[in-house]
Amino acid sequence: MRKTRMALLLLIGALSFGSIAHAELVIIVHPGGPDTITKQQVRNIYLNRSSQMPDGQQAVPFELPAGNSIRDKFNEMITERSDAWMQSFWSRQVLTGKGQPPTEMSSASGMKSVVSSTLGAIGYLDSTLVDDSVKVAHYPEGDLIGGH
Amino acid sequence: MKYSLFRVRNLSLFSIPAILTATLLSGFPASAFSQENQQRLDQLEARLNSLQKQVTESSLEKAKFNGFFSTGYVRATNDAGYDDSSEESDLQTLSLFGLQGTFALGRNTDAVLQLVSRGSEDWDTELEWGYVRHQFHTGTEVRAGKMRLPLFMESETLEIGFGQPWARPPEAVYDPIPVRSYLGADVSHTFNLDSSSIGTRLFAGHLDDEADSLGQTVDVELRNLIGLTTNWTNYLWTFRGVYARTEAFVGDPAGPVNLGQDEKAEFMGLGMSYDDGAWLLMSELTRVKVDGVFQNTDSAYITFGRRIVEVMPYVTASWIESKDNFKREGTALSVLDVRRQAYSLGFRWDLVPSVAMKFDWTHARGFSNTTGGLIGNQLGGNFESTDVYTVRLDAAF
Repeated sequence: MRKTRMALLLLIGALSFGSIAHAELVIIVHPGGPDTITKQQVRNIYLNRSSQMPDGQQAVPFELPAGNSIRDKFNEMITERSDAWMQSFWSRQVLTGKGQPPTEMSSASGMKSVVSSTLGAIGYLDSTLVDDSVKVAHYPEGDLIGGH
Repeated sequence: MKYSLFRVRNLSLFSIPAILTATLLSGFPASAFSQENQQRLDQLEARLNSLQKQVTESSLEKAKFNGFFSTGYVRATNDAGYDDSSEESDLQTLSLFGLQGTFALGRNTDAVLQLVSRGSEDWDTELEWGYVRHQFHTGTEVRAGKMRLPLFMESETLEIGFGQPWARPPEAVYDPIPVRSYLGADVSHTFNLDSSSIGTRLFAGHLDDEADSLGQTVDVELRNLIGLTTNWTNYLWTFRGVYARTEAFVGDPAGPVNLGQDEKAEFMGLGMSYDDGAWLLMSELTRVKVDGVFQNTDSAYITFGRRIVEVMPYVTASWIESKDNFKREGTALSVLDVRRQAYSLGFRWDLVPSVAMKFDWTHARGFSNTTGGLIGNQLGGNFESTDVYTVRLDAAF
């Protein structure tokens, strides 16, 4: 009995380790949102160049807190701007009345629930945390896992 | 209600592996487990409710408040007076506090107020901006009230140090116009092209303010002020042009300083910038033309910067020259003649999100036979160059 439990623990450990190693950035939208969105369209929304989703819906972007590894990956692959640049950029946009930054969610689960319940919402997540409550509209790292 | 049912179903689905794992691993009695699970569900649901409340609130928000703050240490090698610096350490000049409120009046209409207290003005609070704005669905925007005079690329962020790369906007270009905000109206339109946009703004109004000149506080009035700005950007490169004209009243005919009454004045500017997130290039070229004794100046600057994670070193070279010295020749006002070059070396360091520090060394020289436009020389000094050291802290919130 003890041995079995140990083996199970190891197995679970191995599985979860595997999923961390394969943490992949995906762009998620509201389940009623567009099926696909291009990198450029995502980038335009997060850099305040566009406020529309590809389906014409008013875009409501969300982001994860600074220091989050998925946010770092998002900035590296999508916005191609550093956090310091983004901070200065958004303070200029806000104080000159050009727009408000994406709403920051404190956690990945918060991100998922807010995107699943807000019309026009767009966000990003670690692919291993995605479920049916949201729609994956873009795979910046290529559609490796598929089926989602 | 429908929403919360949906979420509960999802959460249960999500919890199935956890239930299985927990059961397998511990063999806990089912009742103990379901109690634990219920607790977890309750916690999650509470969290969800608060999240939803947060989202609903932010979309219905009636008022938004933002602010900015700067403070800094300035010291110069002499009392030439570049940007009000002197041999004595100074903390007042760069210190200011701004609070901005945006109040939604309707779906596409809002009111914007900006209050600023400056250390250089004994922290008196001033209404810097106060306007009502309406945005049409077509991309046209109209505003009326007290607004920033949009003469420069960085006019809108003039006092928001956190939004700028430098320790201070280049004096040669930003200083010849000693006033900031006017009362009037403007209409602007943005044309969104494929991967670029063109923005244009027509503004008109009146300005009545005070400014420092030759060691005195003088009245500045600009009547029938009208101007046009146009810019094109592909979000990497930006090019900008501006033209404005007015009738200027500077000083008092009966007072110690009179630089002209009802003189035709024109402003012309060209600007360009490049910012790819790593490299930064900014440059502006401006011309001020005023009839009468007020100096006509040409000025320009160019800045290069390179971001390396949180640090951005920059270099700036700037130049200003008055073009109408003959008009003041032989008079006391020839102290207004100006010729000056300035070189700055500095860096911006983003300490934590929303707080940046800047370190800057500026060397000004090349005054030729003029005062270099520096107050120390205008009041009788004889400084041939000056070095100004600045450490500045900027925040935005």
